[in-house]
Amino acid sequence: MKRALATMAALAFIAALMVSSARAARVGEHAPDFTATDSNGKTHTLSEYAGKYVVLEWTNRDCPFTRKHYESGNMQRLQREWTAKGVIWLTVASSAPGAQGYVTATDENAYLKQENAAPTAVLLDPTGALGHLYDAKTTPDMFVIDPHGILIYEGAIDDRPTTDASDISGAKNYVSLALTESMAGKPVSEPATRSYGCGVKYKD
Amino acid sequence: MWHRGSFSDAATRVSLLCWLLTLLCVSVFLLGTQASAQTPPAPQSHAQLQLVAEETFFRPGRTLWAGVLFHLDSGWHIYWQNPGDSGEPPKIRWDLQSGFQAGAIRWPVPMRLGKGSVVDYGYEDEVLLMAPIRIVSPKVGSPVPIDAEVSYIVCREICIPGKARLSISLRRSKGRSRAPDFSEWRELFERTRAQFPKPMPSAWQVSVASKGNEFILSVRGAGAASAAAFFPLDPGVIENSAPQNLASSGNGFQLTLRKSEQPLKPVVSLRGLLVLGASGAFEISAPVAKQ
Repeated sequence: MKRALATMAALAFIAALMVSSARAARVGEHAPDFTATDSNGKTHTLSEYAGKYVVLEWTNRDCPFTRKHYESGNMQRLQREWTAKGVIWLTVASSAPGAQGYVTATDENAYLKQENAAPTAVLLDPTGALGHLYDAKTTPDMFVIDPHGILIYEGAIDDRPTTDASDISGAKNYVSLALTESMAGKPVSEPATRSYGCGVKYKD
Repeated sequence: MWHRGSFSDAATRVSLLCWLLTLLCVSVFLLGTQASAQTPPAPQSHAQLQLVAEETFFRPGRTLWAGVLFHLDSGWHIYWQNPGDSGEPPKIRWDLQSGFQAGAIRWPVPMRLGKGSVVDYGYEDEVLLMAPIRIVSPKVGSPVPIDAEVSYIVCREICIPGKARLSISLRRSKGRSRAPDFSEWRELFERTRAQFPKPMPSAWQVSVASKGNEFILSVRGAGAASAAAFFPLDPGVIENSAPQNLASSGNGFQLTLRKSEQPLKPVVSLRGLLVLGASGAFEISAPVAKQ
């Protein structure tokens, strides 16, 4: 009986995913709920984080735009800064098997250690289901969801669309801007920007 | 003893002579290409860059054209000014002596790249990104270095960033003739100009209607079109990966474009290129009519 219920729940979830994926997440609207598994085998849903800010960060460790933010330590610094303030930071790897940036759970955990990265979790999305649900185009592509589940930011990590780590200093970080403004009860001044980076290496 | 010579010795000497001649020709060729400079081939860079000028001499008061010629490995691409869903356009930072002023890059018509949900706009194989250089001051010495710092990203399944510092040297024309002295790159510049988008024909009437999640781009007075593709100049206006549906309508045609799922701001006008197969590409800009 329990098993049947679990199956029904899974089917209902898949159906919900299929329905909601008809349109991608849009700034100002409810961010679509999802269920995904992290690199430690733990399941995460967006709804379980209701009441908290959630950041989604699309990643591909070998993309030069992503490397800019990891090799400089910028991404890790942001992850530490915001998770310390109670933000749930979910890094998402949507590269398909065989494509650049595809990672197994073991690979990813070794990489997190090596890079001293500090997200809440890394969601493994080799089918691209979560990527397509949010219409993530690039790595990095950043999403910020407020405690009410509303998508309040989507786009670039900052205003310097380059692969050069020297451009990080002095850049306007849109994720920090959105979180800072929203936490202060202000409207987000730059809610959508063109995300820059490598294309997400989807299966299709 | 080689001077007595057997047949094979003679053959060796002939081939040696050929070699020397080839070397000489190559050297002469390299010396002759003062209007170009090439970066040393870096392994796995997938792009070779060359700075080229259309003329061999400059004249104060005139404008000459220079550009960065990208030779790309098969399957690799660089990006248009609006790169689409991913990537970044190359950036050229000119480093010029006072009295020389560079204008903006003239972008040739791009191609659509990618088949899935991530679609980009850019160039494959070979492309020249050219810009005008005005010589505004009459008091400039000779020869004058033209330097350019280029940063770019070249992608296939993966992306590799690149940087190049390129330099050529141009001498001031001594001749009194007003005719320009074209370099060996003249034909390439002319070929590139032929790929520039053209201004919209005055007989056309372009309008854009907003309908649900689509923009209907109507062109009247253009006759029927057998193929049409719209390349947006601004990001976040249309879904780059969505199919564009062409239908004939009266004395023209309509192109249906899917709106961006994530508009960056309210779309008040559509600006971009309309590429009509062999008829070429046209610059269009039309306000979006209110619903």
